[in-house]
Amino acid sequence: VSEPKSYGWAGTVLHVDLTSGAITRTPTAEYEPEKYIGGVGLNTRIFWELGCPKVAAFDPANPLIVSVGPLTGLPGPFNRAEVCSISPQSYPQELFTYSGFGGKWPSEFKYAGYDAVVVVGRAEAPVYISIHDQDVRIVDATGYWGLDTYEAQQAIIDRDPGTSVLCTGPSGEKLSRNAVIANETGNTAGQGGFGAVMGSKNLKAIAVHGTGVVPIAKPREFLALIEDRKAKGDWMVGGPQSWARGPLDAQGAVRDEMIEKYRKKYAGCFGCQYQCTAFYDMPGVGKGQAMCASWFYADLNQDSRAVWEAQVASQKLGINHFDLIGIWFVLQEMVERSVLTDEEWTAAGLPPVPKMWGGEATDHEFLSALYGGIADGTSPFAAGGGRGFHQLIKSLDKEEELRTLYETRFPASGQTAHYFGWLGLALHVAMDTRDAGNSTDAYLTFGGRPDVAIEDPEEGLRVAERTGKHFGMPTGLTTYGFAEGSAIKAEYAGIERLTKWTLSNHHLKNSLPMCNFACLPDQFFDPPEMDIRVFESTLFSLVTGVETSVDELWKAGERIWNLRRAALVRRSGRTRADDTFPDAIFDTVWLDGDGLEVHETQFVREEFEALKDRYYELSGWDVETGRPTRAKLEALDMTEVADLLEREGYLGERRAS
Amino acid sequence: VSAKEMVIEIQKSGVIAFSAEACVGCGTCELMCTLYHEGVGGRELSRIRILRDPFNHEYQALICPQCLAPSCYAACLSSGDAIRIDEVTGARYVDEDACMLCEDCIEACPFEPPRIRMLDGRETVVKCDLCREREAGPICVEYCPVDALAFIARSER
Repeated sequence: VSEPKSYGWAGTVLHVDLTSGAITRTPTAEYEPEKYIGGVGLNTRIFWELGCPKVAAFDPANPLIVSVGPLTGLPGPFNRAEVCSISPQSYPQELFTYSGFGGKWPSEFKYAGYDAVVVVGRAEAPVYISIHDQDVRIVDATGYWGLDTYEAQQAIIDRDPGTSVLCTGPSGEKLSRNAVIANETGNTAGQGGFGAVMGSKNLKAIAVHGTGVVPIAKPREFLALIEDRKAKGDWMVGGPQSWARGPLDAQGAVRDEMIEKYRKKYAGCFGCQYQCTAFYDMPGVGKGQAMCASWFYADLNQDSRAVWEAQVASQKLGINHFDLIGIWFVLQEMVERSVLTDEEWTAAGLPPVPKMWGGEATDHEFLSALYGGIADGTSPFAAGGGRGFHQLIKSLDKEEELRTLYETRFPASGQTAHYFGWLGLALHVAMDTRDAGNSTDAYLTFGGRPDVAIEDPEEGLRVAERTGKHFGMPTGLTTYGFAEGSAIKAEYAGIERLTKWTLSNHHLKNSLPMCNFACLPDQFFDPPEMDIRVFESTLFSLVTGVETSVDELWKAGERIWNLRRAALVRRSGRTRADDTFPDAIFDTVWLDGDGLEVHETQFVREEFEALKDRYYELSGWDVETGRPTRAKLEALDMTEVADLLEREGYLGERRAS
Repeated sequence: VSAKEMVIEIQKSGVIAFSAEACVGCGTCELMCTLYHEGVGGRELSRIRILRDPFNHEYQALICPQCLAPSCYAACLSSGDAIRIDEVTGARYVDEDACMLCEDCIEACPFEPPRIRMLDGRETVVKCDLCREREAGPICVEYCPVDALAFIARSER
C-alpha cells in the first residue's frame, strides 16, 4: 500500500463493509484534511462524500465513522476521537450527530496508521474488527456477544494482545437507543446512541494495536512550545474540570466517603498531563473511572454503594449515564405526582419504586430493573430517555398532563441538556443535534469559570472579565447564570457573537482534536503573544507543516460547522423552524441546577427569534431559512458545497438587511 | 573483564525510580521521551515503557536501571565499544555512531524484556541515557504529572 507522506495526519482512511466483508483504504488527502482537519470535520466531510444518506439509524447503509485528528498521538490533551453517524437517540428525528471520547483507543488507532474508519453494512453474525497496523480483519465475535463492556474488552485483549478495545455493551446489542460506545472503564462516546448503531451492524468491537508514530513537521519547535507553556505554569497536573475527581460538595456525605474510602488514584486520558477524573474501587460493587455525571444519583440518594452501583452498572451495560439522569428525574416526578396507579406503573414496564421515593424496592432492585430493562430492550426507556418518555406518556394517555415535564427534561433534540437553562448556551443547543456537551465549559468560562468559582467566586469572575474582554465576548453574569439570587433576567444582546465564537471553537476542538475541558478560552492566556487561539494555530502549523494563521484556523472551525449545517440541510431539510425548543421552554419558568444553586430561567420567544435573526445575519446565512448562502460558503472555500446545495434546492438565498 | 570486576572501575550512575502507587498510566513519560529523542509522536520508540492494566488502574514501568555493574557495557567492550559511561551523570548510553548492531548488549541485558532495544529503521540500538544532554535532566521525570518518576542522582544512590 502506498500512502501519501504527511505530517500530523496518518494519511489513510479505513473502510470496512460488514455486509460484503470488503476492507479498503483511501488516502485521507481525498477529504481535504487541511480544510476539515480531523475528528468531527473529517467525519462530516466523509459523510458528505457518501451523499449524506437519507436512511434510518439502524439501516445498514448508515455509516459509523470514527476519526482522530492531526494532533492525536502527541503528548498533551489531544488523544481523543469523534464518532459521527445518524443518531438513533435524537428525537423526534434521527439526525446526523457526533460524540467524542478519550482514553487509550484514539492514540492506538492513530499509531496503527489511520485517521478514520468508516463502517457500513451489517454482518450476518456478531463480529469485531481487529486492527494490528496494516493487518485488518473481521473476526467472529459470537462468543463475546452478551458480555458487558468490561468483560468484552478483556476477552478481546486476551485473544488480541496489545489492543485497546472500543466496544458496545448488552444495551447496544439490543438496540437500546441510549447505548454508548466504551473504551476501558470511563471513556465513552456517550451521546447519540452509537452503541446501538454498532449493535445494528452486529459489530461488537473495534480492537486496535498500533506500532507506528506520528511524524511532526517541526519537532524541536513543537517541544519548545510545550516547554515554554510548562515554564509559564499552564502545563501541569490538575485539569480544569477538576470536579470530576470526586462528587461535588453539594453531594454531601457521598463525596467524603467516595474520596476517602474508595478513590484509588486520579485518572485521565492517554498522553494528557491533566488528570481530570479518578478511579474508584468499591469491594463488592466494582471498579472504574468516574466523570462528573457519574455522581448525580447522589442528588437522589446519599448511599455511596447505590451511587457507585448506578455508575458501574451503566458503564458495564453500556448505557448513557447522562440520559439516565433525565430518566431518574422524570420517574421521580411521576412518583411524586402520583401519575399512575401501582398497577399501571407495573404494566407500563417501569422499575419498582425505590425506598427513596416512598416505595418498597431497594436501590439495587430499582437499578437492576431499570438498567436491566434498558440493556435487554424491554424498558420503555430503551427507546432513549426523551423518545421513550414521550412514547410512554402518549401510550398512557398522559401527554397533556406530562408535556411540560417531558419538554423541559429532554429539550436538546429529545436529550437531556447540559446547563440548558443558561441562555448563553441555548442558541447553540437549539441549532445542534444534541446538547452542547463538551462546549459547555467554554461558555461557562465567560460566565465565571465554575470550577474556579467554587473555590473563589471573585476570581471566577475576574477570569471571565479578562477572557471575555480579550475575545470580545459578553460577560454579563445574567447571560450565564452566576447571578446573585435565584432569578435570572436573561440578556440576549451579544449572544449571537458568543454563539458564533464558541461554534468555531467547538468544531476546531472536536477536529484537531483538543480536549475542550483541558483547553478552555482562558488557558494559555498570555496576550498578545499567546492565547488559546494562538496556541491552537501554532500547534497545528508545527505539527502538520501547513502554515496556518490564527484567523485561517478559526475559519476552519467555522467551515466545519457550515459543512455540518449543510449536511443537516441536505439530509434532513434543516431549516430555521428546527432551531428551536419545545413550547414548554418558552411557556414556563423552570429550574436548572448547576451544582452550586438552582436557577430559574425563562426564555422569551420573541427575544429568541430576534437572536436567531442576528446570528444568521452574522453567520452569512439566509435569515428566512437559516441555511448557508453561496457568498458565505465561497468565503469559506466551499464552492462545491454551495454548488451541490444549489443543485438540490437547499442553498440559502436571501439575506435580511 | 567480567561485569563484577568492573564495579570498582566504572562510576555509578543516577537512576530513574518508579512508583507504581502513584502512576496513573497516562503515558506522558513515553510520549515526552519519544518526542525528545526521536522527534515524533508515539509510544513505541520510547526508552521508558509503561505496561497497562486499565481495568484495575495499575501500571508497571520498564526502565533501564543503569546497573552498577552494567552487563551491556561489558558485552560491548569486546565488540564495538559503543556503550559508554557519561562523565557527568554516569548514564550508560549508546554512542549511536559507533554501534555495529551486533546485539551483544541486548543479549547481555539481565532484564526481560531487555532495556536495550532495536528499533525499526534505526541503525543503532537504543537505551535510556537519562537525557544526559538535557540540562533539566530526564524529560520523563520532569513531565510526569503525578510524580510517579523521580531522578536519583548518583551521589544519592
